[in-house]
Amino acid sequence: MVKIVHGAIRAGAALVALAIALPAFAQETVKIGAVYPLSGNSASTGNYAKMAFEMGADIINNGNPELAKIFPLAKGGGLPGLKGAKIQMVIADNQGTPAAGQNQTLRLITEEKVAALICCYQSGITLTASAVAERYGVPFLNAESVAANLTERGFKWFFRTTPVAADFAKAYSTFLKEQQAAGRKVDSIALVHENTEYGNSVSSVISDAFKKDGLNITMNVAYSANSTDVQPQVLQLKEKNPDVVIFVSYTSDAILYAKTMKEVNWKPAILIADDGGFNDPAFTKAMGSVTEGLISRSVFAPGKPGSVPAILDALYKKKTGGDGLDDVSARVLQGFFVVADAINRAGSTDPAKIRDALKATDLKPDQLVAGYDGVKFDDKGQNVLASTLVTQLRNSQYVSVWPKARATDPLVLPYKGW
Amino acid sequence: MGMTLVQVVVSGLLLGAVYSLFSSGLTLIWGMMNVVNFAHGDFVMLGMYTAVVVWTALGGGPWASVPVAAILIATLGIVSYFLLVRHIMRGPMLAQILGTFGLALFLRYGALWIFGANFKTLPDDLVGHSFIVGGIRFEGARVLAGLVGLAVTLLLHFILTRTSVGSRMLAVSEDAVAAQLMGIRPQRMQALAWGLAGAATGIAGALIATFFYTSPTVGETLSIVAFVTVALGGFGSVLGALVAGLLIGVIESLSAFLIGPVYKDVIVYTVFVLVLWFRPQGLMGKA
Amino acid sequence: MNARRLIQLALLVAVLIYPFLTLESPVYQRLGALVLLAAIGASAWNIVGGYAGQVSVGHAVFFGIGAYSAVVAFVHADLPPIVGAPLGMLLSVGVAAVIGVPTLRLSGHYFSMATIAVGELVRVLSSTSDWLGGAQGLGGPAMPRTVFDLSFMSAMPYYYIFLAVLAFLLGMTWWIERGRMGFYLRAIKDSERAARSLGVSAGRYKLYAYMLSAAFTSLAGSLYLCMFGFIDPESGFGILLSVKMVVMAALGGAGQLFGPLVGALILVPVEELSNSLLGGEGAGITFVVYGAIIVIIARFLPAGLLSLFERRPTAEKPAVSTANPASGHAD
Repeated sequence: MVKIVHGAIRAGAALVALAIALPAFAQETVKIGAVYPLSGNSASTGNYAKMAFEMGADIINNGNPELAKIFPLAKGGGLPGLKGAKIQMVIADNQGTPAAGQNQTLRLITEEKVAALICCYQSGITLTASAVAERYGVPFLNAESVAANLTERGFKWFFRTTPVAADFAKAYSTFLKEQQAAGRKVDSIALVHENTEYGNSVSSVISDAFKKDGLNITMNVAYSANSTDVQPQVLQLKEKNPDVVIFVSYTSDAILYAKTMKEVNWKPAILIADDGGFNDPAFTKAMGSVTEGLISRSVFAPGKPGSVPAILDALYKKKTGGDGLDDVSARVLQGFFVVADAINRAGSTDPAKIRDALKATDLKPDQLVAGYDGVKFDDKGQNVLASTLVTQLRNSQYVSVWPKARATDPLVLPYKGW
Repeated sequence: MGMTLVQVVVSGLLLGAVYSLFSSGLTLIWGMMNVVNFAHGDFVMLGMYTAVVVWTALGGGPWASVPVAAILIATLGIVSYFLLVRHIMRGPMLAQILGTFGLALFLRYGALWIFGANFKTLPDDLVGHSFIVGGIRFEGARVLAGLVGLAVTLLLHFILTRTSVGSRMLAVSEDAVAAQLMGIRPQRMQALAWGLAGAATGIAGALIATFFYTSPTVGETLSIVAFVTVALGGFGSVLGALVAGLLIGVIESLSAFLIGPVYKDVIVYTVFVLVLWFRPQGLMGKA
Repeated sequence: MNARRLIQLALLVAVLIYPFLTLESPVYQRLGALVLLAAIGASAWNIVGGYAGQVSVGHAVFFGIGAYSAVVAFVHADLPPIVGAPLGMLLSVGVAAVIGVPTLRLSGHYFSMATIAVGELVRVLSSTSDWLGGAQGLGGPAMPRTVFDLSFMSAMPYYYIFLAVLAFLLGMTWWIERGRMGFYLRAIKDSERAARSLGVSAGRYKLYAYMLSAAFTSLAGSLYLCMFGFIDPESGFGILLSVKMVVMAALGGAGQLFGPLVGALILVPVEELSNSLLGGEGAGITFVVYGAIIVIIARFLPAGLLSLFERRPTAEKPAVSTANPASGHAD
């Protein structure tokens, strides 16, 4: 009897010892944790994010001469503020579920001892995972969840670099108002959105903003993203024939809509697709030829040769085997650079120092890969300089067309399609 | 409105024919062996990837990918039978859920491992463009899938009811011990059923890939539809699956058009539960 | 004391002191709590799915009701989430009656398919309700206000709460198993027709089992919400959740007292540890391993892991004896 109990305790102790021993060697590296959907329905996005992280760490650890001219951290040899400590990304899979997101966040904090976390793509998972980081007092940066309530919880360790849904809605509404002033018809607007978290939250913010700005949403269609057939909805659109259609979709449904609109042979004068699936490289590759002139939003536009986004875009293409940076991967990469910059300025892996450094973050637009006006956090941790570009699909490539100050190409309307 | 409504019904019928196509394999083994294959959707998914690979590696359209997928998935079916299904049939009914669900995860994430998470699509015009008859637009790929769906379903029905192999298979499904006494080898018949079901499923996958996106998790989306189709039609009734598939397709299309796409699933499931309330054995199942 | 007793006692002690053995590793401590939580859900399912043989693949409905009741108590009434637990259990019993009366008449797979359909129906409807937070879901208290919010940094309190609930549930199941109801349920499972002909009111007892099972599944949902602090339609009502309850119970041994616990003891660590070790690679190797383990166990022990300890190995049965779809299922 005593023997067995002893055995059990010894086995438990061994497990504990193993758990403690793992992070012990990590002295000359700084660990940054990332919890992304590497399996499940958003696996495609998560794996692009993973490549962005790996590329970012590689740039800081091994340098890139071209980038180093404008971007000090790209000189190579790790983080100068920490005597050249290298960055090690510890990437975990949240499996697209809040439970796995929370479990993995806990593991990265307590076992991998990460200095900071970048997490989690889906708003619901960000919500649950950040609660763990808050309790353990680990800086937590979110680079792409757009739900407004995330920064309203009074958290002290939470930072967010991305613009939120309200910013996108404002951009669309201002953009459409300008088109109206230029003499285009925007009297009837159809809002077609998938009915999980992403589509519902973004579309409700868009309806609110449009109502306030006097834009008339005449049709509001919710559908489930895993639909096997969208022909009825497209036929409905064809019958009502709105001037403007706004899609809020994931990749699979974006592909179906693009195919079906061509099948049914109907297109509106202005077709806007809110990021999401329409910005997935899988979509632009497969459907770009039948969605010429599609308008979307993105924080990313390659810009002039020699600029930070252009260089990183080229590197990313090499990394992925052809796919350039898009809205999500650019926001992820930006989030990573913000964290790396803060750790470097903190000169320490002490969480409180990193948090203070994050609070003091002040990045200028020309150093950013994302098209923000800068990065600067308010008291709630929201980046007040986050903004978005309106882009248009030209030969299966998104180019920036609005606002004028940031446009690289002229806007072409009406929507051409195929 | 009138013409659009006809168009909606036509698209529903075509969708329904596809539903019956990918459900016929499920209903066959369900009826033959009282085995629910939770990996069925993933068999369809592998059929779809076969079409994608045949196209990207060899440039072959459906004429090449359909036979390849039929052979591959039939083989997968027979292998699954001998390595797994044969053994779990010894256990309680729950063992089927356990075993085939494990198989489903294995295949789904095996595909993710091999093919990556990205969505793949075949070129639009692989099966030719859409055409218009009497003001109604028909999409080439869906018409082909629908017609083949009808043909495969009827062929399976013919094999089961009009051939001696079919009657031996049905004898095994009625009473395996008695069939064995008559000199029929139950395991051979059951393996044959898995092979036939696999072939039908592979064909379905290869055809669906011509107008639908392919991804590792697509089977999840399709398998619930297949379950509902089969149960609504009645387990083991191939014709039942055909009728149920068409019915579900039309209900989905009409309710998406008239009420709103979010509610189409609600309506399908409600109809399904109501039908079972009045006919607990499904539309065409044996009482 | 004989050897069997010794092993049992050692296991009991190990279970009781586990959180202290893992004090230094919050991840393993939490893993213990997760195993127990999964075991509560699967053991609750076991009452109707295992003992009564009515394979529900829609039990997430009750899990979701429990989780949403708890979060609604917080969001709409500003109460600690756990206050919603008893309400959720009551509601689940009511919903179980509404679902059970029409569907429990169905035999075999038809019942399973009907419960899948009802589960999906509830999931879709819940995502259209703004009051329930729609598809975005609802969050519990961001930070605990009082201890009654049951929101702890350490997993230890959860471990003991879950352990107490599981002990109560298993104790009750054991009591039922021994009593008249257990006898009736086994009779119904073996042959409903025979049970009826012996005067057992099969419909009524199946419904009782279903409602009891629903109540405890709902409690598992409420506890989940307290621990994770967030619920959305997919993690509350998703079909994967329903399937996992079935798989866990079947893997250990359905219709046996400790079957679901054994299943949870295998599957939860396999899932968590393989995700920790392999998940970061991407490519879903986690689930390839997870799926393969399930397949192998199903292949060699189709009646579950506990069948290893049974006197009569199940493999003696001929391969074809269960091939008759009509046997024992006809209503």
